[in-house]
Amino acid sequence: MERRVLVVIPAWNEAPNIEAVLAELRAARPADAMVVVDDGSTDGTAALARRAGAGVLQLPFHIGYGAAIQAGIKYGQRGGYRVVVTFDGDGQHDPADIAPLVEAVEQGADLVLGSRFLAPTAFRGSLARRAGRGILSIIARRLTGLSLTDPTSGLKALGPRAQELFALARFPDRFPDADALILAARARLHVAERPARMRRSRNRHSMHDGHRAVAYTFNMLLSLLVAAAGREADLRG
Amino acid sequence: MRQKIVFMTLALFLLLVIVELVRRRRLRVEYSWLWIAAGLTIVMLILRYDLLIVLTNAVGAVVTTSTLFFCCILYLALLCLHYSVRITALTREVKELAQEVALLKAEREVRPARQD
Repeated sequence: MERRVLVVIPAWNEAPNIEAVLAELRAARPADAMVVVDDGSTDGTAALARRAGAGVLQLPFHIGYGAAIQAGIKYGQRGGYRVVVTFDGDGQHDPADIAPLVEAVEQGADLVLGSRFLAPTAFRGSLARRAGRGILSIIARRLTGLSLTDPTSGLKALGPRAQELFALARFPDRFPDADALILAARARLHVAERPARMRRSRNRHSMHDGHRAVAYTFNMLLSLLVAAAGREADLRG
Repeated sequence: MRQKIVFMTLALFLLLVIVELVRRRRLRVEYSWLWIAAGLTIVMLILRYDLLIVLTNAVGAVVTTSTLFFCCILYLALLCLHYSVRITALTREVKELAQEVALLKAEREVRPARQD
């Protein structure tokens, strides 16, 4: 039986989490293929993932979250998977939320996001993070006409057209969040949202903490404007 | 006169270094043009100081030194911009290569190389 769904798990030094994340995924989604994208880890993440039976895409050095995701999407395209799901390697996502995302893609959506804010137990986060997300949400709505509650979500399901867009060489690989959504909207992809529960990851070294959240927001704002003005959305290249 | 000799020596030395770097393949030919142009500009300004005065009047500056410094800073700023553009292109190329290496490695692990 050909597997239809590939779960891409970007991981950078996630040795404390990766085994539990993979075990949980395997239990919840036994029919799906899994590939861990090891983004230049130095703590043996790749070996742990291999031992857990996942496919491993080992990048020769650290190239960043977005580029790691992109590598996984390329892997999915070459393997001919209908749906590629991105699922963070730090344990913050719940495998139970994958099913509705995949279902939405099968019903015709190109790109489906897991949203914390549609879930019954709403995730809140620090004030800085909430403010940043609020601003991004408003701008993304202005620029795309999409009303998305959680544009920075790392839990996504991509159909073939979204995979094609995300695999472009010039796709924004530093901040593939709200700007990616703008590109998706401009490429006339059908974008949807489904509820997703987010957990505090067990051993977190999140990039969205403290002052980095501020820097991230500014980078994101600039990235949004570039996405809105640039030519990247043209799928024909 | 002493000024002219010092700066002429420096300019000629700069040109010599550039040519030597290109000759030893330490500097790509396409990048050497920028530096050769800079060196030749210095030589020209030493020989024809009146050109700098004409330029100073043209841009409305008061003293020639400020024209000179302004041009130097502008030149360096453009050079930095040029490097940023190159670095951006190289970063993208390195990313694409890193991804390709990972994909090919994974492919080989799934289907071990045939013995032929």
